[in-house]
Amino acid sequence: MRKPKMFSEFFKNNGLLMGGILMFLVSFWIIVLILLPQLSMLDFSFRYNLPPALQGTEADSYTLDNYRYLVFGPEGASDAFNKVDLMVFVRTILAAMAVTVLNLILCYPLAYFLGQSKGGGFIRLLVIMLVIPYWINEILRAFALRIIFGDGGVLNGVMMSLGLIDQPYDFINADIALYAGLGYAYILLMLFPMYNVIESLDRNQIEAARDMGASWVRIHRRIVIPHAKPGIASGMTMVFMLSAGALAAPQVLGGTSSLWFTQLVYQWFNDTLNWQQGAAYAIVLLVASIAIVLGFMKIFKVNMGDIGK
Amino acid sequence: MSSGVDVTLDNVWIKFGDFVAVREANVNIKGGDFFSFLGPSGCGKTTILRAVSGFLNPSEGRVLIGGKDMAGIGPNKRPTALIFQNLALFPLMKVWENITFSMEVKGASAVERRKRADELLDMIALQGQGDKLPSELSGGQKQRVAIARALCAEPDVLLLDEPLSALDLKLRQHMRTELREIQQRVGITFIYITHDQGEALTMSDSVAVMRNGIIDQIGDGHAVYDTPATPFVASFVGENNVFRGKISAINGNEAVIATNRSGELLSRITPAAVGKLKVGDDAMMFVRPEVLNVGEGTDKTTISAKVLNEEFEGNSYSVFLEGNGGKRIKMAMPNMGQNQHSTKGEVVSFSYDVNNAVVMPAGELASE
Amino acid sequence: MRSNILFGRVALAVYLVIFFGYLLGPLLVMGLTAFNSAPFPSITPWQCYTYEWFGALFQDERILNGIKHSFIVGIGTVILSVSIGLAASLVLTQVWPRWRSTYYTIIIAPILIPGVVLGISTLVFWRRVSEVFGENAAFLNNGLFLTIIGQSTFIASYCMLVFVARLQRFDTGLTEAALDLGATHTQAFRKIMLPFMRPAIASAAVLAFLASFENYNTTTFTFGAYPTLTIELSQMVRYGINPSISALAVIIVALTVFAALAAEVYRRRSKIKSGDIKPGKGLPAWMFGNVATILLVALSFVVIAMVYSAQAYSPAQCKIDYKAERQIENQTRIEALQKARREARQNAAPLESITSEPPSQGAGAFGSVFAPTNLEDAAGTGSEESGTPEAPASPFGSVFAPNNLEDAVGAGKN
Repeated sequence: MRKPKMFSEFFKNNGLLMGGILMFLVSFWIIVLILLPQLSMLDFSFRYNLPPALQGTEADSYTLDNYRYLVFGPEGASDAFNKVDLMVFVRTILAAMAVTVLNLILCYPLAYFLGQSKGGGFIRLLVIMLVIPYWINEILRAFALRIIFGDGGVLNGVMMSLGLIDQPYDFINADIALYAGLGYAYILLMLFPMYNVIESLDRNQIEAARDMGASWVRIHRRIVIPHAKPGIASGMTMVFMLSAGALAAPQVLGGTSSLWFTQLVYQWFNDTLNWQQGAAYAIVLLVASIAIVLGFMKIFKVNMGDIGK
Repeated sequence: MSSGVDVTLDNVWIKFGDFVAVREANVNIKGGDFFSFLGPSGCGKTTILRAVSGFLNPSEGRVLIGGKDMAGIGPNKRPTALIFQNLALFPLMKVWENITFSMEVKGASAVERRKRADELLDMIALQGQGDKLPSELSGGQKQRVAIARALCAEPDVLLLDEPLSALDLKLRQHMRTELREIQQRVGITFIYITHDQGEALTMSDSVAVMRNGIIDQIGDGHAVYDTPATPFVASFVGENNVFRGKISAINGNEAVIATNRSGELLSRITPAAVGKLKVGDDAMMFVRPEVLNVGEGTDKTTISAKVLNEEFEGNSYSVFLEGNGGKRIKMAMPNMGQNQHSTKGEVVSFSYDVNNAVVMPAGELASE
Repeated sequence: MRSNILFGRVALAVYLVIFFGYLLGPLLVMGLTAFNSAPFPSITPWQCYTYEWFGALFQDERILNGIKHSFIVGIGTVILSVSIGLAASLVLTQVWPRWRSTYYTIIIAPILIPGVVLGISTLVFWRRVSEVFGENAAFLNNGLFLTIIGQSTFIASYCMLVFVARLQRFDTGLTEAALDLGATHTQAFRKIMLPFMRPAIASAAVLAFLASFENYNTTTFTFGAYPTLTIELSQMVRYGINPSISALAVIIVALTVFAALAAEVYRRRSKIKSGDIKPGKGLPAWMFGNVATILLVALSFVVIAMVYSAQAYSPAQCKIDYKAERQIENQTRIEALQKARREARQNAAPLESITSEPPSQGAGAFGSVFAPTNLEDAAGTGSEESGTPEAPASPFGSVFAPNNLEDAVGAGKN
């Protein structure tokens, strides 16, 4: 029985009052804010959407209907599967992956450049310029891209006045605006973890490798990337999870014909008012994205402890 | 200032999981003494100090301060003050606030604290430096601030955890004298932790030598240096030539050891081993370099060897010799103004006084 | 070799320009739209330089209310998540090694859980709790309460990370020294740990407030009767917009830049003071210290000048001119059309009157339909035009009431 000893030690190290406050805050967070709401949502997703009068009665039993709906659609539907929603789901996951990879490619050179530079004023200025957009509201950032990509937006205006096109290109419905917006929204979460680990790489290692005649490609493949792996994993995890779970960017930048999975969740909650169905969809999103992240972490042998550094 | 009180460790064991950090420690420290725990890093001396100051509870046994059992009393309630290895001065507080922190937590007024701080700053010769931050002080000054901070708490026992280890050699030697002076002035019990035998011997009334969580010997500097209780103490405290062999004869407090390579040698039996040796036992004999003299003694106290090398060390010469079978022996000669003692390759005979050699049962040596 | 290096330099410069263009360009464009008098956010066509959208912004009851709610939620979230994050980071340093990774996984998870999931779970859970407590716990269903709780769930993790980074440099010996000198645990915390953590607490608080202020995904499920600014913005963006949103963005960007520059100047000041950096040593560092100051002063001047000129400047005349210009252009366009139609009539069977059916059905308003070439097509096909112009759902669709048509035509022409 080591647990009681651990607690007594904890209180000995912190005193009763401080130890009590720490314990209370942490357990409030973990239990009341994190665990119970998730469990409650899980429970909810297995229930029928009943009018208040029927709640708590015998009809209020557990069911798999909400999950069945996602896969097979409403009963008596013509299709065997709920093609629309499943397509949205698959598209969301794949697009989030694509956004993650694009962000990685876009950010790696900058992270390397910033991390291996000797600091100084110019670098500080760049870092500040990087941070500023991140302080702007997500909605406003999406809105800024809408101004650019919109039908009568800046990009179309410029391209048309240059004579490149004679009709506005529909960036919105082509989802270009959406992908640009998602990448835009979370690009710093890819950049900074990588920047931090690359900064901690001893510059002499690179010089030693160069001295031994390694090419740049080899230096990156054998020295920089292995060292930066925790940062890359951290950044990719964050960007993927946040892109897959994004709502603002798809709502503002998404085309009418193609939805993001979170928008379905949103509709179940706010338009259809079927919370149980929405909870089931949310659970599916949560489980799927966690499974994907854990799978990738296993493949690339990264620990949970690396995330968030 | 309060007078020193006794500190007693009564059969103290300290374990971390399966690891035993301190094994059966029984120590009586007299009030007002300067007591040192001496041992290599990892021997458990800091663990003992933390048990006395209250950051650790002994797994078994009792810690008594002034005859009072300290079980269940936290570090902030014990009459001890600890000087940390890295000093642990509060970086965001001014020097005077650091010094009087113990009064601040008891609710003393700023005026009162300021006055006390000035007194203590006087004592440690840092007048007028009270408004600096610790980062603006030199290493020796920080050291003295840490001492003043501990003394301000008016402890009955001052605990010092290798506080001089970060200082350079000159300053360290100066601080030794200063610490000893302070101790004699305030008259409280000092418990000092160090791996430096020079510090332990110069300052302490009593020294406990530790190895792997075991206290090998407790005694004053002379006892530890001249009559080590174990091979570990003999080899850890100061330099020693060690001769391994078997006991071939015992005569009262003296014994003859048939060494592996240097023939039969006569030595006194170290006090702690009297009565514990019998003929045929594996034994070790220790002779310090500085008690070896050129010239023949009796046939059982004379060794001959070839001079390998000589090093000049200022106040002395070290002569490195090679005896039979490649046995390495070191001899130290005081510098009396001569240019050199020996010529390379020369075979010399040298001897020692029986009272300056000790023999004891074979055991673990300090690895160096 | 040398050309290689040169090529590398150029490639790097191009890359940096593209990257920062992507990052800052949209904000710049959005900022410009706030000063264009066109009734929807755009810079092409540029109509008249105006401050009217700032005025409109400050008269918008919903925006002002949203700001108020955002502040309440922000302050609540800062208090809750900073204290939770601090406690969690302190516990992390003490948890037994074998429990540490489990514990860390749990407290880092909220960052990775999609915001919508957090919002939903908060909503569902507290709905149930309030059902258990009944009438006298109505606050459990209150939008402000739910939003603070929901946001703090993950913002506390961000705060925790900030504290963990700071704690790594904390010497636990300091706390022990304080205890040894007779301090109680509470005193040791207040006098040693808190002062050491103060900078981290400040940055965690700022971070928490910003994260709360801009949060949408979680809040959109929990806000109830208290829409925050972000919620109001999203409604405006989705259901019709005017450039007062851009005006708000300009204010936020200006405040952000201002704060960032001020922080940088302050940072350098204190570094120079503490001797970490010697002023004048190393040209870029020296330059930057001044660049930040200069930019800060320049920015202040621009803002002051703009506020001042806004008192005197009026775009009314420009607007009238612009309108007249458009009308003339429109007139000529219509005449040209009528001419074309007359010719068409002569050549083929007469079609329905096109003037009776203005191509103004909202969607795609100032889009492709109005390019001169298309217009002729439209004229040719008459009422069958519905396919082409309607296809794309314009971002600004619903804004375009028919009376905006003149502007739209202008846009098409450009």
